[in-house]
Formats: sequence, C-alpha cells, structure tokens
Amino acid sequence: MKSSDIKHVLIIGMAGGLANITAKILLMKYPGIKITGVDQRVSQSDFSQHENINFKRIRYTRGSFERLFRDNQFDAVYHLGRLTHAKNSLLTNLEDRLDLNLIETKRILDLSLKFNVKKVVILSTYHVYGALHDNPTFLQEDHPLRASIKYPELRDVVEMDQIAENWLWKNQRKIDTVVLRPATIIGPQIKNTMTRYLLTPYAPVCADFNPMYQFIHEFDMASILVRTLLEVPSGIYNIAPDECISLKEAKKVLKISTTSIPSFLIKFSNRMAQTMAWSLPRYFIDYLKYSCIIDNSLIKAHLGEDLFRYKTKEALAISKLD
Amino acid sequence: MVFKSLIKELGLTVSDNQINEIMQELQTRYPEGEDPWGLNLEQAKSTLEAVWPLYKHYFKVRIFGQTNVADEPYIIISNHSGQVAIDGMLISTAFATEITPQRILRSMVDRFFTSLPWIATAAAGGGAVLGDRQNGHNLLKRGQSILAFPEGVSGVAKSTSEYYQLQSFTHGFLRMAISTKSKILPLAVIGCEEIFPWVYQPKKLSKWIGLPALPISPLYLPLPSPVDIHIGKPISLPDDLSADAPDREIEIHVQEVKKEVSRLIEHGLKERRPFFASQKGAHSK
Repeated sequence: MKSSDIKHVLIIGMAGGLANITAKILLMKYPGIKITGVDQRVSQSDFSQHENINFKRIRYTRGSFERLFRDNQFDAVYHLGRLTHAKNSLLTNLEDRLDLNLIETKRILDLSLKFNVKKVVILSTYHVYGALHDNPTFLQEDHPLRASIKYPELRDVVEMDQIAENWLWKNQRKIDTVVLRPATIIGPQIKNTMTRYLLTPYAPVCADFNPMYQFIHEFDMASILVRTLLEVPSGIYNIAPDECISLKEAKKVLKISTTSIPSFLIKFSNRMAQTMAWSLPRYFIDYLKYSCIIDNSLIKAHLGEDLFRYKTKEALAISKLD
Repeated sequence: MVFKSLIKELGLTVSDNQINEIMQELQTRYPEGEDPWGLNLEQAKSTLEAVWPLYKHYFKVRIFGQTNVADEPYIIISNHSGQVAIDGMLISTAFATEITPQRILRSMVDRFFTSLPWIATAAAGGGAVLGDRQNGHNLLKRGQSILAFPEGVSGVAKSTSEYYQLQSFTHGFLRMAISTKSKILPLAVIGCEEIFPWVYQPKKLSKWIGLPALPISPLYLPLPSPVDIHIGKPISLPDDLSADAPDREIEIHVQEVKKEVSRLIEHGLKERRPFFASQKGAHSK
C-alpha cells in the first residue's frame, strides 16, 4: 500500500477517545483524505469542524455494515469497536457482546475483502494472554491465549483475536490485515476499566500482590495505528513500551490514595458490590494480582526503536488531566 | 515487621551503614529501582535487613572461592537442600553482600511458588523469577545472573537418609547456557540439610494430596547449622554445541556440571564446621 492509495478510511468505534485521536493524526498526515467514523454510541467529540470527517451513529447490524460498504469505497478499515466489559458499555449482556464482537468482526472482515479494501487494522488487547501466576515475562505473539481459561466472560476477547488471526492467514494474499495487541492504553480521553480504576481514589490494591504493568499513552497508540497503515505488514503484533512499572508505584505517581487489602477480600467485596455503581469486572482482579508483560521486538522491527514519545511516568501524570 | 523486631531482640543485627552501602551499590546497578520481573529495590532492602543478620549470626555463612566470580552474567548451578529454600536465600545474600561486584541473583522458582500471596511478591521484589526458560534467556541477555537448582523439588524435599545425595539434573539450564553463550558457575551449599536434621518425606502421599513436598519432622524450627558456600570455577561450553542438540549430547555436559557440584560437596563436607560452630573462625576464603 502506498500513501497515494489512502483516500477514504473507515473507523469503527469512532466515539472512543483513541479513534478520535487517530482520526486527527490521520488527517494531519494525509491532509486530503476522507474519514468515515461509525459507532453505536454518541460521540463525545464534535466532528462538525472537520469537513473531512463524517461521523455516523449506526447500530452494528449486518444491514448497516453492508450499506456502509456498498455506499462507500474504503481503502483502509480500522476496527477499534470491540465492546468492552466496562459498566458503561452499551451491552453488558454476555450473549449480546459475544454476538457483536465475534459475528460483526467476521462480517467487517468479509465485507472488507468483498469491497476491495486494501488494509484492515484490528485493535485487540494484551488481555488475550491472561493474567496468570505462571506467565513468563515478555510474552511473545505466539504465546498461547489463556485469558478465558479461568474467566469465560473473556471468551469473546480471545475469540475475536483468533477470528482475525485465522482470517489474516487465510486471506493474506488478497488483503493486508494487521492485528494489534496493545498493553494498557491510558490518557485523558481513554475511559477503559484500567483508567477508571487507576484514577478512582481509594480503589483497592492487593496487599499481597504487586503486578508489573506496561502503559501506553493514547497519543503514542494513535500514532502507531496511523503508522501501521503503510509501515507494518500483515501479522499480529504486541504493542508495549520497554518500560514497566508496578501497580503500586503507578498509583504513587498518580498521587491517588489506595486501600490496600488482601486479594481474597477484594474478590469477596467486589462480588458484594456487583450491584452497585462502582465495581470491577470479575476477571480484572487477576490483573491486579499477576503480571502480563508482553514483548515488543516484532513491532520494533518495523517501526524502529523510538516508538513511544511518552515515558511511563509522563503518560501516567498526563492521564490524570481531564 | 514482627520478624525484624524479633531478630533485633535476639541481638542479630547488621549495621544500617553496611546495608545502606550495599543498597547504594545495587542502586547503581539497577537505577530504575524496579524491573519487568517484579524486582523492587525497596523490597530487596527490606528482605536484606531481615535475612542478612540471620546469614551472619545464625547460619554463620562462610564463602569459599569468591575469586572465581567475575563481573559477567552466570547461570549459577547449585545443589538444593534444607526442605524450604533457605539455601537460595543464603546464596542470594552472599552475592548481594560479600561477592563483588554485588548483584541481585535471579533465583528461578517453581510455578507453585509464584501463586502464593505475599510470598511471591516479596520473593519477586528480592529478585526471584518464575523458573521458565524464556525468563532465563531474557535475563541473561540483559546481563543478569540467574540461580537455578536443576534437581528441582526432589533436591529440596529429601528424607534424612538422602542428605547430600544429588538427585537427577534437568537439562533446561544447559540449553539456556548454550543459547545465550553464558558460563555456568557450579556451587555447593553445605550445612543447609542439617537445618532440619530429622525429616521424612512421604512422596506418594504428598503427590496424592497435590503438594510438591510434605516434610514430616519432630522439629519445624530451623536450627542454627553453620553453612558454607563453595563456588567452583566457571564452566564454558563448546562453541559448536547446539541448544537444540539431542538429549544424549546435552546429557554429557549436564553430567560434567553435576560431577563438579558433587566434587564441591565432597570437599565441603570435609571442611565443614561442627554443628554449633562459633562465629570465631568463620571467615571467607
């Protein structure tokens, strides 16, 4: 793919903070291009000032996607629209989420192939590896995806990644497909489980565990998404900085007070709090206990060593600004 | 905290100056204070404050052969003993305090260990890592020395009748040494077996319950057996040996390392002190 090939880009999940930044960087890098962004959610950003960005609120259904692809000729597709387990997600019902994350992902890939899209970039997550006590440090892309071993609710996360992976290898001669598995993305515009957890005063940390984390600033992640279009060939890539920081140290950097209690009590009290406004997804407690540190050598081979502009502590400090 | 206070009450102390000097040295080696495997210098200091007094005054550790250690990464291979991993703790303390340049050894621990609340985090903070070949490989590439016990749990969980008998060695450490072109540093610990002098290990029962070991002993208080650490000369492996060589080729070199550890044990047993040895006469050679 050449830069002159990029004329029209589709971003699925446009209402999210990361998609918003990605769209703006895309416009800076390729000033003449047109971006169509779709989401089920209402966008928090106002795209009316950007005449090159066309935001559409649609339901993620077969009909909506088919119409979208029939009516437009996209050169590249960013699939950033994975539904999360967060409480503010439109669908907290497991079956519906499975349906959307899996069936719609497959549909988007098939439509991209049918309508001659040149490149598809799918945003997966490092959560697919799972936070397990026997994880070696620096998991490589071919490490088994064990997230759903303990928590079936993570099945959609793993299966979505695997659908994309199988599809990638099956169609590698027909279309470029890149699956990115980033570490924890943080930033003022990111509202995921981790950022909410990090910024909540007195959110519990395990007294008996202190896992290591890799944090990516939202701007760095968006820049990598943009560079992926031309510089990264088909494949699966972990995205993470070299730097790591322990969870307790991260909380110190953020100057957020914590409540330190044993992990079994966090598990118990979280179960009690499931009905309340603030509680953690069940699987997330394992990410507060065990590390899941990923290797970044494969992506560095394509994008170089200086992949990240923000150091971990800077990224954490900035993510507090809202 | 209670443990540290108890140590102070018993008069087993090391001066704060000594600990601070060591920590300063380690700070230059690990400037970030943390690393991806969970090393945490604050935690390491806290562990040192608790263990070093025991190392010096309770187990009266002596080191032999520290001139064999240079400033380079090693795979340190030792016999395993003492029912609980006291030997690993003492070897790590020796390398952090008395063997220059001071370093934090990355002890490779069993999978079971990394799931234990508090213990796993404290051990990782002090340098312990999951015993996984990928971990070892990455650490050696980053210039860190790792400590491995190739006898595994069968080495540490022995009955009294098997004390100082080396169990079979696994091959992983040798393949790791070949692929990273690291030297192997053989080492023997003498005195840890007697910390729990009378033990019976019902191996079938512990397997049935699902525990790695089940030591049955009339005494569960670790006794102050004097401990000697004997360090051998580094072993380099032939350049033409492949990390993917068949087991029969690897086994020859594993046996050489085992033989050297065995020789160090025999020598150490001849040099050992009587059980209640005084601090007098304890010295490093």
